[in-house]
Amino acid sequence: MFKLNLKIALRNLWRNRGITFINIGGLSIALAAFILVMIYAAYETGFDKSNPNYDRIYQVGRSMQDLKTNYTPPPLAQAIKDNFPEVEAVGKMKSGAFELPLFTNEGTVFTQNFLMADYSATQMFKIKPDYGLEKPKGESVSLFLPRAYMQTLFPHKKDNKPELVGLASKSAGQSGEVIGSVFVDPHSNISFDALYISNDLGKGEDYGFNNYQTYIQVKKGTDIYNLEQKINKLYQTELAKNSGNDDRFKSTTIFLDPLKNLHLKPKTGSDANYKVLISVSVLGFLILIIACINFTNLSIAQAAKRAKEVGVKKVMGAYRVQLAIQFLTEILIQCIAATVLSLIFAELVLPGFNSLFLVNLTIWQSNSSLIWQLPLILFFITLIAGIYPAMVLSGFKPAAVLKGNFQTSKQSYWLRNSLLVIQFSIAVIFITGLLIINSQLKYMRTQDVGFKADQVIYVKNIALFSDPAIFEPIREKIMKISGVKSVTVTNSIPDGSKLGTNTYAVDAKKELISFLDVDFDYFETLNIKLKEGRPFSKEFKTDAVNSAILNESATAKYGLTNPLGKTIRGCDMDYKIVGIIKDFKAQGFEKAVEPTIYTLKNPCGNPKTMIMIKIEESKMSETLASLKNQWLNINPKDGDNFRYQFLDQLYGKLFQKQEQLQSVFFAAAILTIFIAILGLFAFAKYITNGRIKEIAVRKILGASDLQIMKLINTSFFTMVILANLISWPVAYILTKKWLGTFAYRIEMPVLPFIISALITILLTIITVSLQATKAVKAKPVDALKYE
Amino acid sequence: MIKIENLEKVYKTEEVETTALNGINLHVKAGEFVSIMGPSGCGKSTLLNVMGLLDKPEGGSYKFIDTELLTLNDRERSNFRKRNMGFVFQNFNLIDELTVFENIELPLIYNKVPATERKKLVNEIIERMNIVNRSGHFPQQLSGGQQQRVAVARALVTKPKLVLADEPTGNLDSSHGNEVMELLCELNETGTTIVMVTHSSHDASFSNRIINLKDGHVISEKINKSRNEELI
Repeated sequence: MFKLNLKIALRNLWRNRGITFINIGGLSIALAAFILVMIYAAYETGFDKSNPNYDRIYQVGRSMQDLKTNYTPPPLAQAIKDNFPEVEAVGKMKSGAFELPLFTNEGTVFTQNFLMADYSATQMFKIKPDYGLEKPKGESVSLFLPRAYMQTLFPHKKDNKPELVGLASKSAGQSGEVIGSVFVDPHSNISFDALYISNDLGKGEDYGFNNYQTYIQVKKGTDIYNLEQKINKLYQTELAKNSGNDDRFKSTTIFLDPLKNLHLKPKTGSDANYKVLISVSVLGFLILIIACINFTNLSIAQAAKRAKEVGVKKVMGAYRVQLAIQFLTEILIQCIAATVLSLIFAELVLPGFNSLFLVNLTIWQSNSSLIWQLPLILFFITLIAGIYPAMVLSGFKPAAVLKGNFQTSKQSYWLRNSLLVIQFSIAVIFITGLLIINSQLKYMRTQDVGFKADQVIYVKNIALFSDPAIFEPIREKIMKISGVKSVTVTNSIPDGSKLGTNTYAVDAKKELISFLDVDFDYFETLNIKLKEGRPFSKEFKTDAVNSAILNESATAKYGLTNPLGKTIRGCDMDYKIVGIIKDFKAQGFEKAVEPTIYTLKNPCGNPKTMIMIKIEESKMSETLASLKNQWLNINPKDGDNFRYQFLDQLYGKLFQKQEQLQSVFFAAAILTIFIAILGLFAFAKYITNGRIKEIAVRKILGASDLQIMKLINTSFFTMVILANLISWPVAYILTKKWLGTFAYRIEMPVLPFIISALITILLTIITVSLQATKAVKAKPVDALKYE
Repeated sequence: MIKIENLEKVYKTEEVETTALNGINLHVKAGEFVSIMGPSGCGKSTLLNVMGLLDKPEGGSYKFIDTELLTLNDRERSNFRKRNMGFVFQNFNLIDELTVFENIELPLIYNKVPATERKKLVNEIIERMNIVNRSGHFPQQLSGGQQQRVAVARALVTKPKLVLADEPTGNLDSSHGNEVMELLCELNETGTTIVMVTHSSHDASFSNRIINLKDGHVISEKINKSRNEELI
């Protein structure tokens, strides 16, 4: 019997291959999206999951009035270990982004993200160097590098003995010992490209040195809330012993953040990743459900063709269960085909997905759980897509269907109508959203940002040039190279980095404002417009000592109408304001330009190391070549490697997040409109099938093709208009909220709403008319003939 | 073999109630060939559906060799039907996706007949119906008369005690119609009980007894003498 049913199923699918193709194809695309979302979700929630103590590791953090931080003082770890037996282990780490060249005669690498960890922290996180890890003795520090770096530095290394590497610049003559290579797990919260392991960290530093991450591993069954309270009490007591009665410290409390939350929703950082994951998961799930329902609808639209078969089989004594199982099996076969196809689709889309979300996922290796999840999903979609058609089909009354005057019921119309409206509403929201994102991005790309990053290169450097007098000879050497227009050095480049803030006072009015330490020609290099006064100039000896330039926002904050010549005081210095510049958007479009003071000398700022060079466009490549050749001569302290980046590319990275959002919306818009059209297709087919007799009669009575087209289209037209009306306010509120995250944004445009309405209406009319044409073109006699 | 007493069947829609069967009494003996005639809407198809257990009446009793059928549940009705009854329809109702052979084989599969025996039975009946060279064809490739032969073959392959035919010649021209009627007669002569609904008095003339229905009542019963004499 199974063989015969299979034959019926396959012959049926083949006879309606157009519909079969659409049905399986639609489901498989939705399923592919769902599989990608699942892999992504498994990856995002799986950080450090391979650690056997995953559930028992917590990060210790401090909560202050308006800030939560994971920077903790080093003695806290030992105090916790000494006082609470439920804490099995404690570990300390310190990490930072700091580019350091390491070199041998064979090659050079630049470490950018160092991690210092004490021995117990490496044990807790299962960080295992390739040839094992001996507990460092005494005060010694062992350096380990990732395998790729070791390969570059020591390509011929066969043994596992420590090696010497040069540090920083050759001229500095410093060297250090590398113990060996270490595997860096990309799927861990602990990331680094240079690892320093020592016995202990932060020895001799007291509770004022909040520079370390502290991790604890607790015993099974520990009451975390209780432990948190106890650690907090301990911290307060220790703090009081160390720093007396400073009120600022008293309001600081301790919290514990589980390891499993650190990647997605750390208490000390943004939970944006978590929100993205949740929304993407919900979207993926919705798409799959809707695709299943569409599948159901299409199957039922085809049901009339199977009615006779059901009737005949029932007459011959088939049980309803048998028939239901037969139809479920048929749908299972289609779902299996869809699953196989979806894996192929997912594999095809994965590279794009990876580069969009900056991950490196694979369908098979990274996620073995897919192997058991996939059959479950298959079972699940077969049930949602199959139960209803199986019930409907197996429930046909043979006495009715075998007479040949079979009509499918109309009772579920409202359900399908509303489903269709919902599908189109979702599609309209995504299309509108996509169009508005496009407009804002276009605005961001064309809007004047107040400075010109084109043809400006940022040269990486670790030599310190805080004093303009030290930088002057370097500037002179660089300026001699043909094609160089101007040179400057600063401690922060306009790539969206947040500037340091400090309190400055003008006429006793104290304000917290940002500061930026620059050198001569900073404003010229970036082509920043002066509003009044003058830029820094070597002709004024005082500029290198105590001149300051403010931006417009700063003068506004202080309410200065005539700022030039006034004194601004901060960091124990008195500056004279010599110029006011126009605001420029160094932070991108999301944050308003911050009130900023620009000075040459600032004892409170970080040292100036970041060199910026403006180069003539026509001479770019030769100038870069000359700079590279002469760099050691120009910058003897860090001249081995001329490393540069184009400033406009760095600034462009500020747009990356929005471009990512744009891509997600693009994919979602395409997917949702596709699925909505698929649903519409099924529904239109169903409706026209049900009205074939009506159409035939109308035609015989003299209706024109156009009139019949209109007749069929009207109800769908109404539904799409309704969907637009529903989703416009939703899209408006959501995009308004999104635009609200930008300090500089477009006015809410009207056009996207109209365009998405036009797109959906047009697609609807095309889809429905395709179906209607068949009914209209058919000979009315055929429809009216008995059997 | 069949004892039907006081059968009642009412079709209800939201506004109207239509009485299709209004206290029908009917007895059919084993080996009989009964025709049911009457104007459209007189209840003849409803009666046939009830006899075939495809529809449930509101009241009355339906005994088939002393078994009361109206109290059976769905599953028991299915079981009873597949063991004892065969059906022939006006519009043939062959499954388009199955070949002639597979269509005829289908009821045997539902009766759990082993594959080798199925093949034997189907081949026998195909030969008897004279459609051997059509066994691999699909229904759409056959003429109406051939399709109805296949349908009859399918109804007979399980060797049912009762064959129910609903206007078996309604979609056929007269020569093909006659072929089918002759087939039913042959069948009747080998002992199968047949109940047939028809509009055509020509077709009815092939049967032993003609029952006339109107508005859900039996209004007359006529013994077909010529046919009965033949029998004797």
